[in-house]
Amino acid sequence: MLGHKKSVSAKDHGAVKGEPILTLSDVCRSFEGRDVIKKINLTIKRGEFFTLVGPSGSGKTTILKMLAGMDSPSSGDIVYDNQSISSIPPKARPTCMVFQFLALFPHMTVGQNIEFPLKIKGVPAEERYDRACQLMSMVQLPEDYYAKNVMKCSGGERQRVAIARAFAYDPQILLFDEPLSAIDAKLRKTLQKELKALHEKSGKTFIYITHSLEEAMFMSDRVGVLNHGVLEQVGTPNEIYAHPNSRFTASFIGDTNIFPVRVRPEGGWESSELPLSVVLKVKQLDRNIEGYIIVRPERLRFLTDGALADNAIPAKIVAIYSLGSSLQYELIAGKKELSLQLSSAHAPDYKVGDAVTVGWDADDAIFVLN
Amino acid sequence: MLLVHSRDSGCALLCKLWIALVLVFIYLPVLCGAVSSLSKSRYFIFPLKAYSWTWWERTFNSLEIHTLVCNSLLIAIVVTVISTLIAFGGALAFARYSWRGKRLYQKIILLPIFFPQPVLGLALLLWFNTLGLELSWATAAFAHLVWITPVVTLVIAIQVYGFDPTLEVAARDLGASPWQIFREITLPLLWPGIWSGMLFAFLLSWGNFPLSLYTTGVDNTIPKWLFSKMSAGYTPMVPALGTMSTIAMAAIMIVGGLLVKLHHRHQGRA
Amino acid sequence: MASYSLAKFGAGLEIRLRALFYSVGGRCALPIYLLFVIGFVAPLLLIIGFAFTESHSFSLLSSFSLGNFGEIFDPSSGIWKSFAWSLLFAFIVTIALALICYPIAVGMVRILGKKWASLVSLLFVFPLFISENVRLYGWVLFFVKNGILDGTMRLLGGEGPDLLFTPELTVFGLIYSYLPYMLFPTVLGVSLVDKDLLVAARDLGASRLQTLREIELPLAMPGIVIGMLLTFVLSAGAMSEAKILGGQSVIVLTHDIDIAFTYAQNWPLGAALAVSFTVIVALLIYAVFSRLDIDRILGGKR
Repeated sequence: MLGHKKSVSAKDHGAVKGEPILTLSDVCRSFEGRDVIKKINLTIKRGEFFTLVGPSGSGKTTILKMLAGMDSPSSGDIVYDNQSISSIPPKARPTCMVFQFLALFPHMTVGQNIEFPLKIKGVPAEERYDRACQLMSMVQLPEDYYAKNVMKCSGGERQRVAIARAFAYDPQILLFDEPLSAIDAKLRKTLQKELKALHEKSGKTFIYITHSLEEAMFMSDRVGVLNHGVLEQVGTPNEIYAHPNSRFTASFIGDTNIFPVRVRPEGGWESSELPLSVVLKVKQLDRNIEGYIIVRPERLRFLTDGALADNAIPAKIVAIYSLGSSLQYELIAGKKELSLQLSSAHAPDYKVGDAVTVGWDADDAIFVLN
Repeated sequence: MLLVHSRDSGCALLCKLWIALVLVFIYLPVLCGAVSSLSKSRYFIFPLKAYSWTWWERTFNSLEIHTLVCNSLLIAIVVTVISTLIAFGGALAFARYSWRGKRLYQKIILLPIFFPQPVLGLALLLWFNTLGLELSWATAAFAHLVWITPVVTLVIAIQVYGFDPTLEVAARDLGASPWQIFREITLPLLWPGIWSGMLFAFLLSWGNFPLSLYTTGVDNTIPKWLFSKMSAGYTPMVPALGTMSTIAMAAIMIVGGLLVKLHHRHQGRA
Repeated sequence: MASYSLAKFGAGLEIRLRALFYSVGGRCALPIYLLFVIGFVAPLLLIIGFAFTESHSFSLLSSFSLGNFGEIFDPSSGIWKSFAWSLLFAFIVTIALALICYPIAVGMVRILGKKWASLVSLLFVFPLFISENVRLYGWVLFFVKNGILDGTMRLLGGEGPDLLFTPELTVFGLIYSYLPYMLFPTVLGVSLVDKDLLVAARDLGASRLQTLREIELPLAMPGIVIGMLLTFVLSAGAMSEAKILGGQSVIVLTHDIDIAFTYAQNWPLGAALAVSFTVIVALLIYAVFSRLDIDRILGGKR
């Protein structure tokens, strides 16, 4: 560790990976009477890659700002290693942020940008240079970029400079404010992989925010889904995908078929959005409850040549889209639009306008409460 | 005048011609002054019969004119330093921060620019008189400040508009103190604007006539002296001094401009 | 009612003052506000005070009189003429400069490349730094008998026109002097217009003229209006052009103010003239400024 003093001691020695590093308890934030963050409770573990995901306006940037110290909670507390840091300024926090638009200093070279936090701490020049070179090789920037002007670097290179600069601050927790949102799809994938690898190599705690659940799932150890300032669900990517606990989380993952269901008086289930003659089988307790069932497009299938499924619905094909390796069918059943996805290799010979029967097994549907 | 389609190229050519023509119009009198200053004779008859540097030499060696240059320089330097200091804060308030009263401030501060200078000069004359101040280079410098500071504020504000405040937030996050942020981030990035502001201040003060007319008292400046000689009858020293002053200002502007450019190149943002 | 609105005004003022002292932006603005108050507001108040003082008096408000204003608008005094001349000149100059500068601004924003545009704008800025009387004197040398124009015409076997010391040449000089003041705001205005909008308008079938009238002019208007305001106010308050090029063939307003203060030693009359003029200027500025969003114009924020 560099010999600087922080108000919050970085007890690196004996730190156990997986123990809680940061705890948010009942954190609220309101702006001019409007509640933006509503009672967030969250524990982040040392060394994990945690992603907060949510649509724009869900409050994810506000939470990140509170973690970085650029904003403070209206009520509740943020605890780092058993110390409250709610009222500690950014420079004294064990966190450092990689900004959405990177905030690289345009009048400095790549090297000067990376060295900036070291210069501020008063690290001597040679030591700074060595550290900068180390960091540049860590983020895979060639050494001769040291004297290159940051504004002349490409988008991907700037990302790396920004990440190296944050590492130079030597924080315990790195915060990422959607830094990949302005990068084209292909490069984004590469940088996501690099970031994941960097996380594993460095062993630091990463807290990342994004509006793309796909990006979140690709990189993270755990994901928190945020909606209107409420933490809807926290879990591993698999848990979130397989067992969404709310309609919001389920629909946030991508194209999906959702319909409200309720128990019929004469047994079985029905949906107000499907023809009422359709009796559904839902894998759920036989309690008299209402909720939603979610059927992923790839779980919905055509019932041809007498194939059977727990649930069958007559429908009509409205449109067919090619997704490359798979085909997506848009269907209409009663008033309800459905989508169905299947591999191109097994595509049946259907045309737009054909009347078909589609179905799914009760095990393939997910039930969530209202 | 729309110039969107390729067939508008004829229009584009006309437009360029017009710009060239107006530029000739702008510089024609400056040229006339330069030509007449090179006349050997005391009186101006065009075309000149004999060219000489006589009047330039006489002007250059005139003691009276040395005093004028000193006065003009003194006023211009004082105005440059003070107006830039005030305008730097003014520009930050203008373009960097949002605060209650900013919109009103942005308009109020521009008022002196929108005010006729001769009237402002007379008003200030009356004001100094009432305060019992003796007119001198100092009162003239103050009068210049009233008009020039808003101009410099605008010049610097334009640079400030291009400044991204998240850079300051980032520096703070990386551990910098307010003073370090100012010295390492804010000042270097705004420097080109400050430098242009200083150039504007110096050049506008040097050439100012309507404010100086009423506020310099005994400390004559170059534009004021030129005016008194113009009304008194022709001497080639008038165009000679005018041309010399113009060339000096052009040199200052070019050197100053090049310095800004060099700075930009140094930062790689040219 | 009056006390209510006074109270409201007071509350508003208090909030403003509080913002001035307690926000970073406000504190940054303090020095320039201070300069503004002692260098601009105070002299103007003083002038207003003198305007209501008895004629030929040298002590402020030793007496109260509206006589100075009466004298200005008394048809027999002839002072109103200088008022009329100045406003007429300013009107002509403003219209002429708007027409002259618009194509230049379009050229600088859209036709010339970035390098040429910055060179051209430098060439247009530079004259601002040369004292106006030096430049105007150049025109005297151009138009004077045996001057550049006359001499050239003689070489060609003709004779130069006798234009010097006429009101027409005063207008010419005003147009010359205030060109940059019209040009730069217009350039700002024209650069507010997104070129894609013009392409889109043409693509939707609008003619060149329709596009200019329906899209380009309305969008560039904030800049053009600022330029016209500046030009009108400054040329109405100009003095050197009428003195140097006009040869005092016409006495303009500022010249009359100057005479009242210096030669005639009648400060209250000069002050009343200045105040009347300031009222016109203030009304114009208020009409324009109350509709402007400065951040958008200068910062290019949309």
